[in-house]
Order: sequence, then structure tokens, then C-alpha cells
Amino acid sequence: MTAPIATPDIDVDESVSLDHPWKVVVWDDPVNLMTYVTFVFRKVFGYSKAKADQLMMQVHIEGRAVVSSGNKEKAELDVFRLHEHGLWATMEQDA
Amino acid sequence: MSVFRHRRFRWVGEIVRVDLPPDDQELLRTVLPQLREMLMAADDPALRRLSPPARADDDDAEAAYREMVDGDLLVQRLEAIEIVEEGIDGVDLDEAGITAWMQSLNALRLVLAGRLDIDILGNDPLEDLDDDDPRMPIAAVYEWLGFLLGSLVDEAMNGFDD
Repeated sequence: MTAPIATPDIDVDESVSLDHPWKVVVWDDPVNLMTYVTFVFRKVFGYSKAKADQLMMQVHIEGRAVVSSGNKEKAELDVFRLHEHGLWATMEQDA
Repeated sequence: MSVFRHRRFRWVGEIVRVDLPPDDQELLRTVLPQLREMLMAADDPALRRLSPPARADDDDAEAAYREMVDGDLLVQRLEAIEIVEEGIDGVDLDEAGITAWMQSLNALRLVLAGRLDIDILGNDPLEDLDDDDPRMPIAAVYEWLGFLLGSLVDEAMNGFDD
């Protein structure tokens, strides 16, 4: 079986190449402080304040956000670093 | 006069200076060893939130992931606790120190959130619990930790360029 290539309606931000089929997702939870989540995104991924804030708000409002993507090893490392900081992170492969 | 007015964390150049009031110091000296014991015993359900599943959709992959990271995660958490304990009575935190403090304060919050059933109760336990609820003291510590962590985050934000 072959994985389908990216669907045409996918957001540019969320697009992933065939070399980078893993997404790291952060889920909303009632404990982590919003400022802390923004801080962690900036620190772990080097994102700008604007991008980190936007991702944090997406987690808060939509319940989840894709915060990074890459190969399996990168996704595992990202999840590990987010777990170190106490964020609720999972990784998933594009269907 | 509110005890919350005491400036506990202050950005000074490239570091965050820690200056905790005596009550804060005592509380941290009480709860951090408890967190260490819990982490070492590894059998308390309240710890679950500290190691959420990475692969919610695949039990085998999740087991493999846990096998790979759990040891490192534990070592890292114990080291972070030790760094905080060394600085409770006053310290200048570099980037690694800031990280250790944030991770430890947040880990304490997550564990207490488990004790308080925050998922059910909502995130304002001091408001939501009855005055005579036995969990009120835990709720007070939980809120205090949130205040402490929030103060540290606000100061540490100065370390970013924009």
C-alpha cells in the first residue's frame, strides 16, 4: 500500500513533504499557563513571538495545533522536549 | 499589603535573579522532595500527566517510545529538581537554570492538578471548591505555583530578542 500524496486542499502551513510525514500536535489542557505555552514554543522551536502566540491561541481555541513536522526522529525529539516542559504533545503520521 | 507584591523573579541583564520570601522557600523545600519521591516510586496516577502518550493511536509504538524516553525523562526531571533546590534561598538563573525552574514548577502544578481533578473541577479550584473541602490546601498551593511560574515566565520572556 502506498500513502496518498498531499491532498490539494491542505493548508500551506500544514503541508508536509513525503520526506517529512510526521506531525507534532499539542493539545489543550486546563493546567498549563498560556504565557508558559508561548514561552515553550519560542524556546523549543525558536519561533517568533507572533508565531508562538498564534499557535498557543490555536491550541487554546481549537483544542489542538500542529506545532512542528519532520521525520520520525525529529518528531520524537520534539515530543520529548515538549513532555519535558509538561506540555501535552503527541505525534502522528499523515494518513 | 499583599504577599504577591514581593518581586520574586527579576530579569537582570542575561539572567533571572531569584528572591523568594521565606514562606515560599519553606513550601518549595516541602513539595520538591515529595515530587522527587513520587517520580522515583513511579506508581502514582497523578504522574500520568507528566508522561502523556506520544502515540495515542498505536499501543506498540507507544510502548517502544516509552521504553526509549522514560529513563531520560526521569533523569532530566530529577536534575531539574536538584537545580531548584540548590537555588531556593537565592540564585541567579542562566538559561539552563530558568528551564529547570520552569519545568519543576510546572511539574508540581501538573501533579497537583491530578490530585484536584482539575479536568472535572475547572482551573480555578480556590473558587470552585467548598470552603471545608479537604483539598483546599492543595488548591492554595496549586494557585501559588501558578503565580510563581507565571512571574518567572514574564521575566524570562525578556531573554528573547523581540
